Amino acid sequence: MQVRKSELKRQAILEQAYRLFRTYGFDKTSMAEITAQVGGSKATVYSHFSSKEELFVECMMTALEDYMSGTLQHLEASRTDPRIALLNFGSSVLNFICSSEQLEVRRLMIAEAARSGTGKLFFDKISALRAQLGAFLAACMASGRLRRADPNLAAEQLGAMLEAEMLEPLLLHVREGAPDQQETARAARRAVDAFLRAYAPLRPPPLQHKQHAD
Amino acid sequence: MKVKTEAKRLAILQAAGDVFREVGFERASMSDIRARIGGSKATLYNYFPSKEKLFFEVMHEAKTHELEESVGALNPATDDLRQELLRFGQKFLAVLYSPEAIAVRHLAIAESRRSESGKLSFERAVLPLEKQVAEFLKKVMKRGQLRTADAKIAAIHFLSLLESELMQRALLGVLGSVKPEAISGAVRRAVEVFMAGYQRR
Repeated sequence: MQVRKSELKRQAILEQAYRLFRTYGFDKTSMAEITAQVGGSKATVYSHFSSKEELFVECMMTALEDYMSGTLQHLEASRTDPRIALLNFGSSVLNFICSSEQLEVRRLMIAEAARSGTGKLFFDKISALRAQLGAFLAACMASGRLRRADPNLAAEQLGAMLEAEMLEPLLLHVREGAPDQQETARAARRAVDAFLRAYAPLRPPPLQHKQHAD
Repeated sequence: MKVKTEAKRLAILQAAGDVFREVGFERASMSDIRARIGGSKATLYNYFPSKEKLFFEVMHEAKTHELEESVGALNPATDDLRQELLRFGQKFLAVLYSPEAIAVRHLAIAESRRSESGKLSFERAVLPLEKQVAEFLKKVMKRGQLRTADAKIAAIHFLSLLESELMQRALLGVLGSVKPEAISGAVRRAVEVFMAGYQRR
């Protein structure tokens, strides 16, 4: 019971802090103010998060981390060919990161990172997420479904191509409103196609008998 | 009504550049900038309606020439496409990861909800760049050096691959100064994957 109560407290702190950071920014939000909103003592807040920086990074990344680990688990479990797995993964991730909520998080993260010294914390978390995608690609490489290469670099390149068409105009408010599912599916298809051409196995994988008609 | 002059505009840009470099964007004020050039605040606002716009112009003025040079040098008649892309990528990333260009990009994203800087930087820097790279790739595809595909999408993929390794770090302020070797490694890997993704079969 104790564990659950503690977890609820943690969630409550994250929720209130998230709201305050989004409204007032990093500098103008204090741990005292967050404590006042949650109720209880400052010591309790500090028992969950060692600093305002850590709390800020957790607030910004929790939703993305939850989403990604769910999606990536699904990816790893799928026994389908990498194209279908990556297409599903790609359009699903695009829908998520192009939501107005996640765009706002990303803007805030970039706006505050350099100033508040949280850049490194953010970067480590982003690297950990990328490594999870890298692990899936590494498995594809090991089984001969993709050619052997640096899986983390490949993950970085796939991520960049997935975001390439839409993220920048959305982040810069050149374009308003999240893209619909058809649009994200199209962008994902173009990115995954180019990616798979680039990382196609040099020889066809064992079960595939068809030869390239060169 | 006074006629705006190019000389005055340049004088303002010069003074603003000095102020931004000395105290940074946030602490710089339109009053500081006006104090350097004299004249009224109304005149200053007549040339540049906001601090964001002025900042963007200053940095744009400084970097746009270099950026245009890097794209302009792309020769679609080349026999060695890989070499051409490598050369462009090297120049392009050197401009992109300069402190001024990173500052503009950072500001454009951070302030995009409150100001026009995001829209400005997209329209003035990103779109023309994508368009020029797309035109280059279209010609290259026509000559059969790459598979036929949507050249605009190919251009966006290529540019995003070039940025993929270091931009996140730059925007989060953890990149530090970038060594030319780091850039050439990133460019080589991006060009390799792009060529493989868009080669003819």
